[in-house]
Amino acid sequence: MSLNDPQWGRRGGGGGGGGNQGPPDLDELWRNFNQRLSTIFGRRGGPTGGEPPTFRQLGGGVGLLVVLVLVVWLASGFYIVDASQRGVVLTFGRYSQTTDPGLRWRLPYPIQSHEIVNISQVRTIEVGYRNNVKSKVLREALMLTDDENIVDIQFAVQYTIKDPEDYLFNVRRPDETVLQVAESAFREIVGKSSMDFVLYEGREEIAARAQKLMQDILDSYKTGVLISKVTMQNAQPPEQVQAAFDDAVKAKQDQERAKNEGQAYYNDVVPKARGTASRLIEEANGYRQRVVANAEGEASRFRQILVEYNRAPAVTRERMYLETIQQIMSNTTKVMIDAKAGGNLLFLPLDKIVQMSAAGIAEGVASPKPVPDVPAAEAPTRSRDSLRSRDRESRP
Amino acid sequence: MRAGVGAVIGTLLVVAVLASLALFTVDQRENAIVFQLGEIKEVITEPGLRAKWPLIQNVRYFDRRILTIDEPETERFVTSEKKNLLVDSFVKWRIADVRQYYVSLNGDEARARSRLTQIINSVLREEIGKRNVPDVVSGERDKIMQAVRDKVAEDAKPFGVQIVDVRLKRVELPQEVSESVFRRMEAERRAVASQLRSQGASEAEKIRAEADKDREVIIAEAYRDAQRVKGEGDARAATIYAKAFSENPEFYSFYRSLEAYRASFRSRGDVLVLEPSSEFFKYLRNPGAERRASPNR
Repeated sequence: MSLNDPQWGRRGGGGGGGGNQGPPDLDELWRNFNQRLSTIFGRRGGPTGGEPPTFRQLGGGVGLLVVLVLVVWLASGFYIVDASQRGVVLTFGRYSQTTDPGLRWRLPYPIQSHEIVNISQVRTIEVGYRNNVKSKVLREALMLTDDENIVDIQFAVQYTIKDPEDYLFNVRRPDETVLQVAESAFREIVGKSSMDFVLYEGREEIAARAQKLMQDILDSYKTGVLISKVTMQNAQPPEQVQAAFDDAVKAKQDQERAKNEGQAYYNDVVPKARGTASRLIEEANGYRQRVVANAEGEASRFRQILVEYNRAPAVTRERMYLETIQQIMSNTTKVMIDAKAGGNLLFLPLDKIVQMSAAGIAEGVASPKPVPDVPAAEAPTRSRDSLRSRDRESRP
Repeated sequence: MRAGVGAVIGTLLVVAVLASLALFTVDQRENAIVFQLGEIKEVITEPGLRAKWPLIQNVRYFDRRILTIDEPETERFVTSEKKNLLVDSFVKWRIADVRQYYVSLNGDEARARSRLTQIINSVLREEIGKRNVPDVVSGERDKIMQAVRDKVAEDAKPFGVQIVDVRLKRVELPQEVSESVFRRMEAERRAVASQLRSQGASEAEKIRAEADKDREVIIAEAYRDAQRVKGEGDARAATIYAKAFSENPEFYSFYRSLEAYRASFRSRGDVLVLEPSSEFFKYLRNPGAERRASPNR
């Protein structure tokens, strides 16, 4: 029996019931032994009547056989423990030791037996779904929360074996126990939390708390199992109310959007107002400078005229007067009446005259241009006045 | 000599048969009872190699590990407010006293399960009947489990059974109640949704109002500042005018009046009705009129 015999692998992987420890070889050996025995005895009394075997021959044959059986029996005590595994050796059913990876030997059946436990392999159980989060098992998935809402949760638990001895000897069907404990613990934690916490804020915390509770319970049973990870695959409201929940999420977005729109309005209006404000201020500054400049200009002009006036007051005065009257007269419609000449009542069609003169202007039969050399302080004055009035109008 | 070999082999065989009849092992996972003609002779709680009398003694093995009762279907319980709850639990138990266990239950695990299930259901019914739904679901889950564990442990003692743990697994509302829960959840969500929306609207309105207010304030303040600046300008201009014109008020009056006349009569539409007797026409009437020192206005 070589170590490459597939039988080794089978035994290594199995680790099943402790009762069935007889190496299968023994049957075969026993058959061989019987066969050999019958040949020996048969030959003695056989009709062929060959050379009867001598005692020496017989004794040598039996001795060889016994040695062979002994060797095979002892060799059946070898077993291999893989790097990810631990072997547990039982002596007459009683636990005697845990062995590390490598080629190991124990006393053969029926004195010692061994079991192999894979401790590195991460085992996974799925609660609320099978294989794929989409294939839900609603019976497991729907849970009641503290506020009597129902949530739909899928989670997975990963565990390894931390103590092969405990794992083998303390609990019947330890893997099923992990599933039961996982479900119970998770439901307890969810039952103590509010729906919003489970669905939104508290996912990780729920998983962490469930993991701790599971570990505590499993330790109290001494299962030798270590929960390495609890992952919440999915947590959502049940299908029946999904639409309402989606709408609430949308409402949150709507709220944000409304706020942003308001902000957009603010960002539109206020800078514009600032612009208007700076326009007002700048205009006012402009106005101030203009008014002051105008005043300075006019004052300067007046002073200069005044100087000339002071040199020859009468003449200057007369000249200015006449020039002004001339300008007025040449620009207006005039009707001269010698009231003293006739005491009669005069009829003057003033409106016609006004119409005529207005038409004359419109047709372009314009009067000669105003004499330019007249001191024409009117232009700035007028513009100033008009500006002032415009100013008044523009006030809100 | 040949007979000697046969004898050796024969003896070995007999010894093997006897050993297999008289020796037995008790596994790490088991306890055992040795019966002698149906009478309990010995209870073995330590694993290892044991001997018994062949034929007149026989051995029965009992699991010493923690065992589970996990009923697949959920039971219906009534809470203190007469509501139905579906509760699913599992029990971890072990055979603590093998003798007692055998005597009371005949060592039959199925029987033990059914008895324990009965006890647990009745205790659970009692404990849940004392509490309302929220307590069962969350608040007093621990307490229920603890109470059931303690009571069942007491009741199970006569069977030689130790209750390791009783845990509630699923606690659910019956289907018809679930539906109304769904309706309620839906209504709650709708309330939340509309609250969020109106909150959003109110916040948006607030921001808009603030924007309008800020605009008013900004413009009003700017107007105020603008008027102040304009006033300054006006005041400075007035000062300048006053300073200049006060140098000769009489001439200013004349100068300014002429300007005003010119500004007043500037269009052909203005009709002047004149009398030749006015000062302006004095030369028109009489070319030799005496010169006047100052013209009339």
